Amino acid sequence: MDTFRLRVIAPDRIIFDSRAAEVILATNTGLVGILPNHAPLLTGLDIGILKIRTNELWSVVAVMGGFAMVHDNDITILVNEAENAKEINLQEAQEIFQLTQTKVSQADGRKENIEANLNLKRAKARLDAIQEGIKEGTAS
Amino acid sequence: MATGAARRGGWRIAKQFSERLTLSSSLGVQNGGGSVGMQGLGATNEVAPFGARAASNQAVRNRMRSVKNIQKITMAMKMVAASKLRTVQVKAENSRGLFQPFTALLGDAPAVMGNKTLVVTLSTDKGLCGGINSTVVKYSRSLMKLNQLHGEGYDTKFVIVGDKGKAQLQREYKKLISTYITETQKVAINFTQCAMIADEIIKSCEYDVIKVVYNKFNSAVSFLPTVATLLSPEMLAGEEAQKIGNLESYETEGAETQGEVLQNLAEFQLASVLYNAMLENATSEMGARMSAMDSSTRNAGEVLDRLTLSYNRSRQASITTELIEIISGAAALEG
Repeated sequence: MDTFRLRVIAPDRIIFDSRAAEVILATNTGLVGILPNHAPLLTGLDIGILKIRTNELWSVVAVMGGFAMVHDNDITILVNEAENAKEINLQEAQEIFQLTQTKVSQADGRKENIEANLNLKRAKARLDAIQEGIKEGTAS
Repeated sequence: MATGAARRGGWRIAKQFSERLTLSSSLGVQNGGGSVGMQGLGATNEVAPFGARAASNQAVRNRMRSVKNIQKITMAMKMVAASKLRTVQVKAENSRGLFQPFTALLGDAPAVMGNKTLVVTLSTDKGLCGGINSTVVKYSRSLMKLNQLHGEGYDTKFVIVGDKGKAQLQREYKKLISTYITETQKVAINFTQCAMIADEIIKSCEYDVIKVVYNKFNSAVSFLPTVATLLSPEMLAGEEAQKIGNLESYETEGAETQGEVLQNLAEFQLASVLYNAMLENATSEMGARMSAMDSSTRNAGEVLDRLTLSYNRSRQASITTELIEIISGAAALEG
């Protein structure tokens, strides 16, 4: 089967370093799916989820922004922070999500608003990741 | 010599006294700086050098105690540095994978000259770490001089991280320093912190080229001063950079214009390079401190050995003198 080399690197550790068949990125302008033999591509990533398909199984990772470089069947994804869906607890993620939602409504002033929205995005990414993971059957 | 130390303590007095006495017999014990005089039997002894010698003994003992304490402290500092070294070294090695893709993508262009250069000097906050701060400062000064030699239009500014670098550079270049950043190791170095520092640098100064000067950790005894070159987004889009890097072969997505993507890319690159540079510098600091404290401990041990020898010699000399005086006194009574 056609695969490409995929590396997902965070500042403190390597999240993924192996071959994959498909990867779906959340860029600043929408979702992008990458298959083998893709044209060279450089894109910024938003705070969202990253889905990797290896052997018909999808694994989900929550990423907090970064960059993706695609070239010659070799994809390098650099992220600020990442969490594998397997490591996220569904209940905890939901609680944190609700907490950040209330914080956003309580936020007062431009700086607090921006910070609260950012935290909300991050909590949503984590929640989405674990929910997607459960749907795909690779996390619980 | 150890006798110099003893001399400072009280030997000088003893020497004066001993020179007044006749330095005759073979029962006198020779010591490096002064000699114990001994009178012939029957002669009267006006002044006993005894009190003076006891004072110098005390002085040597005090010095020995303080040297031993210093030895204990430097040994403890070495152990602390060794344990910290292990944790930071792991982090530094893991962080190397983060900035290398940037070099693969954008190329490394140390020779590119921009009109505005920013030299980011990474130094330590604490001292007692050998020569690593001096080397970093030396390289930063040379970079500054190189740019100044080029002529009028080339502006160079400093951003200094760490107290030691700040102390050394602010004497000469106070006006050229744009930002100081200190106390970076109060919490363990993490990427968020470096992202903030990168943000601060980008906000506060305009630049074309950034040169990050730091000590790269090679091994526990070797720290290589390194300069990492980063270009601003405008320079990246310019001709020279395009020739070196691979950027052209990529389509870009993720923002409206390629300029915006390059902007984000340059910021992320600065944060990643800073993260790696700070970790490498911290690792070098621990390694340098470990070897500096190790040689301090060894030197303290040597001083202690010499002091102990001289102390024992003077102690035995005074005991011998006392015995001789007793025996000669007893003999005089009998005879």
